Amino acid sequence: MHCLYLVPTLLINVVIILIPALMTISLAFFRWDGISDPVFVGLANFRALWPDRVFWTALTNNVIWTAIFLTVPIAMGLLAAAMLLVARRGSSFFQVIYFLPMVIATAITARVWQGMIYSPVSGINGLLNRFGIEVADPLTRTSTALYGIATVDLWHWWGFLCVIFFAALRQVPQEQIEAARLEGANFWQLMWYVLLPGIRPTITLMMIMTVIWSFLVFDFVYILTQGGPAFSSEVLSTLAYRSAFYDLAVGKAAAVAVVISLFGLAATAFYIRAQAKEFDR
Amino acid sequence: MNRRDVLFSGLKLAGGALLANTALGTIARAQDKQRITWWYETATPEQQGFIRDLLVKPFTTKNPQFDVAVDYRGTELDKQLRVAMLSGSGPDIVFTAGPSYVAPMAKAGQLLALDDYAAKFKWNERLLPVFLEMGRYDGKLFALPKTYETLGLFYNKTLFEKNGWTAPKTLAELEALAEEMKAANILPFAAGNANWRPANEHYVSIALNAVAGPDNVYKALTGAQPWTAEPFVKAIDTLNKWWQAGYFGKDYFSLTDEQAFALMASGKAGMMPTGTWQFQRVATYFPQNNAEAGFVGFPTADGIEGPVYPLGVGSTFSVAASSKNPDGAAALIDFIFSDEAYGAMNTAWQGEWNMPLSDLSKVKIGTEVPALYQEAMKTLAESVAANRYGYTTWTFLPPATDSYLVSGMEEVWLGRSTTADFLAQLDATFQGEKEEGKVPAIPAR
Repeated sequence: MHCLYLVPTLLINVVIILIPALMTISLAFFRWDGISDPVFVGLANFRALWPDRVFWTALTNNVIWTAIFLTVPIAMGLLAAAMLLVARRGSSFFQVIYFLPMVIATAITARVWQGMIYSPVSGINGLLNRFGIEVADPLTRTSTALYGIATVDLWHWWGFLCVIFFAALRQVPQEQIEAARLEGANFWQLMWYVLLPGIRPTITLMMIMTVIWSFLVFDFVYILTQGGPAFSSEVLSTLAYRSAFYDLAVGKAAAVAVVISLFGLAATAFYIRAQAKEFDR
Repeated sequence: MNRRDVLFSGLKLAGGALLANTALGTIARAQDKQRITWWYETATPEQQGFIRDLLVKPFTTKNPQFDVAVDYRGTELDKQLRVAMLSGSGPDIVFTAGPSYVAPMAKAGQLLALDDYAAKFKWNERLLPVFLEMGRYDGKLFALPKTYETLGLFYNKTLFEKNGWTAPKTLAELEALAEEMKAANILPFAAGNANWRPANEHYVSIALNAVAGPDNVYKALTGAQPWTAEPFVKAIDTLNKWWQAGYFGKDYFSLTDEQAFALMASGKAGMMPTGTWQFQRVATYFPQNNAEAGFVGFPTADGIEGPVYPLGVGSTFSVAASSKNPDGAAALIDFIFSDEAYGAMNTAWQGEWNMPLSDLSKVKIGTEVPALYQEAMKTLAESVAANRYGYTTWTFLPPATDSYLVSGMEEVWLGRSTTADFLAQLDATFQGEKEEGKVPAIPAR
């Protein structure tokens, strides 16, 4: 009888997750324009990805994105959280300030950066240019477009990590921190030997989620550059979107989505293993 | 119960009955009306007002049996529409993103053949035949273009007069003028794709028609020659030469088309190669700069009779096969193609409601509409009627080819690809889609 309690959540999972996931996987083996009847083509969609240089550019960009988000915002978040813990005064105020970008809608954040900061006409860059300081719009160059978008996402993201890490750091036993201080540990030693080991599970979870989210990144890229200029900021999700809705190649889009899922799956497997080890301890 | 109470109760009863009667009557009348649903793309509140007051109200006044519900779906309309059509829950009036979407939808049985309505409403006589051809699939009529547009050259007439310049008629004159502008620290081409990345294809369309010529484009579209042929190499090389020479400026990827238009109106840029939809911005930006706008057909290369007006259709009207009110939907489409609606919409909102009527002599357009716009539309209609038109890529190329063209041209401009590689991939994509029957109907020249 108690199994019945599972039915509502199972039903939601089946309808919202399992069926669309299975349909996406199966569509990867069909040629379909999203309008007429699908035609089975076996592995042709996956084979077509292999020589597709845009696919490889997108995959590389996702890897670069993951590397950036595994390091920069996590380091910034940890540092700021530790400082909030050490200097308690005003910590609530700073938490709110750091978290604020997270509650602003993505589209608004993106448009603010595009129009009010990067733009050479209406943005701060334009103001600097008028004063003779030449600053290019990073979104318009193939060498900087991806980093220009990553900067916007970092601004919006790192505060969230800071708040999460701060909440975790507050769970570290106060005696350990006091003991380290009495032993004469400086800020970095306190960080390395007490605080970081104390919140390791949280850091691991955030890093794994970062890998998954990095392969799903879409919104900022699509709003700011749509993968351009010249495919330089294309990521797998924008490639899938363009394939499905502009090229009317839904099968190829599904194949790209399967590739994205594989990375997410690998990260999830790693997380489950790490969690199992944690329980064993 | 005294007399006053009786009177009051009586009044309440009578009032209640009257109210109930009125409410029931309203509901009954609303139920009697047959609803026509229509999903539209982005429109500002002012533009939504034009649709409500100049299309819907006059139509429902003349046809009180119908009730029209317009739903504004924004820039993602075509994606939402395709999903809705698959599930059979789309609107009665199908507003496609262009002729290239008509064939697959018709093939999938999602659209209603309009031949009977064409006969009933005399569309074959009232509309330019080229556009009816574009809406056909398998010999049947499935779509009518909402508006047609062309590409040309806007310029700042006041700036030109001040500098003693005249509008260019040949590519050599255009390039000489652009160099003069650069020397005077004026940006030759006001252009930007920050808000609409496919704007790249406006310039590709211009180059293909002005340099390779419409006859060559027609041959490529019908499969008589590949896109790698010499005329197209020359066209893309010319466009790339303009980019490398700085005609488009360094802020192309940062500017929106509106910002670019404002640059031209202010005299910081001299010309703007773009579409007739930009006429809607003339009244906003030129008067505030005490300047006057000019518009001419884009100059052509030696050997190409010009100017060529590339024909563009950005959206079409169809009736859904699943529509419960196809007669109402067809009647509304017919009203939109009336002289009355043409005059009213083009008076209020220029550049977006240029329905392909074959006879504009009975159309009454407001005196406040710039003569420049009326002249341009008249020239375009005459060019189309005389078979002197070119081809825009967003109208005549199939979806994946068109999508690649947008990013592929950027790759050539930014040195990540060559003209030969770009055209080779364009051709491979086109031939693949041609085999799958995705190339829209190309009217015979």
